[in-house]
Amino acid sequence: MQSKLILLFLFLISSSAFSQLDQFKWKEAFISYEKPSEFRDREYSFDSENPFDFIKKSFANAYWFFISDVDGDNCPFRPSCSSFFMQSINETDIFQASMMFFDRFTRDMNFTKALSNYPKVKSGYYYDPPQNYTLNRSKIRYLPSTYVVDE
Amino acid sequence: MIKIIFNLILIASTIFSQTDSFNFQSPHNIKLFADYLFCEGDYLRAAEEYEKISTISDDTINFKIMISYSEIGLYQQSNLKYKFQPNSLLTNDARRLFIKNLFLDSPDSYYEKTGSELFPFQLDSLSLNYRNKLISISFLFSSVENIPAEEILYPFELQERKIILSFYDQKKDPSYKSPLLAGVFSTIVPGTGKMYVGEWGDGITAFLITSLFAFLAYDNFKAHHNTRAWIFSGLGAFFYGGNIYGSVAAAQIFKARIDFEFNDGLKLYLEQQNYFLPEYDFCK
Repeated sequence: MQSKLILLFLFLISSSAFSQLDQFKWKEAFISYEKPSEFRDREYSFDSENPFDFIKKSFANAYWFFISDVDGDNCPFRPSCSSFFMQSINETDIFQASMMFFDRFTRDMNFTKALSNYPKVKSGYYYDPPQNYTLNRSKIRYLPSTYVVDE
Repeated sequence: MIKIIFNLILIASTIFSQTDSFNFQSPHNIKLFADYLFCEGDYLRAAEEYEKISTISDDTINFKIMISYSEIGLYQQSNLKYKFQPNSLLTNDARRLFIKNLFLDSPDSYYEKTGSELFPFQLDSLSLNYRNKLISISFLFSSVENIPAEEILYPFELQERKIILSFYDQKKDPSYKSPLLAGVFSTIVPGTGKMYVGEWGDGITAFLITSLFAFLAYDNFKAHHNTRAWIFSGLGAFFYGGNIYGSVAAAQIFKARIDFEFNDGLKLYLEQQNYFLPEYDFCK
């Protein structure tokens, strides 16, 4: 009889402790498995009055419109090819940045790039910063392929 | 039955309760806790605990504080804790740890730190030999060139010399690739500069793309489709130029990679050798 009372008591306690509250009701969870795509949030506007920035933005917009958006989110590198180009211009000049960009584009088309020694970012993309390609040795930061970059 | 269980719980909670009579903050208990943290490798918290009882004149505690700070990379702070009498059993170890900290603080420029004013003790033969070993290693880490092998090797014993000599040879004659040559190769045949630095996939891709655009330009000029021909010529020229540029950059990255691997290998060797120091058995 006593053991039945104990069991009943425990049952009452557990049902009160783990009951569904008014503040938090069990309901259907809305989980999205869709991969977020950055290219849908692109800023195409020309908001700078600097003519150099205007030229730079024109190149970036043209690349996004004719290549990036058509290709989709398929660039295996980080920064992506268009970001690489923009960062290259900031690091160097428009001519050198173009050379860096076409070299990057060639490396992007290499089907065996997985065999190269690129480190990876956490999301799995190959890490390939423009600073390594400015021909300024002091800016080169070599990272082994086993290294995972915290982007 | 219920009464018995209830009584047992009451008795147990009274017997095993935390009482004021047990002093967690006594020096003995702090030391026990610090020793536990030290042996678990939690050097940051171990140092904090040891610092609480550092007023006690105990060379072992002092030495453990030095080790703890050194292990977490606070080399200068570690050396500030050097307070050893010459007759202490740990003096020789503490001196070498002091020298190791100076080295680890800046391995590539340690060879410049030779002044006796840097040391709060007289360098005896043991610590002098240890300092000379680390100076030799520092030369290997530095960008100083053309140092005679004898100058690097003399502090080491025969067994160590073989390994240090192999590092010296790697340093003296590294397997770099010439950026100029890479650029020239890619100028003559697109992609070969990349192949020269070992990037075979990139080289073949560059060769195929440049050849494709060159062919398209040639074919369209031949067919008098001049607009298309110029577009392909322009694109081909950019890919050609980009490949020459990329080959030079790849040779520079290759050099950075060789330097990185050399330094990494040397660091690994030093760690395996425990920086030529004996293993301390405080945790056995």
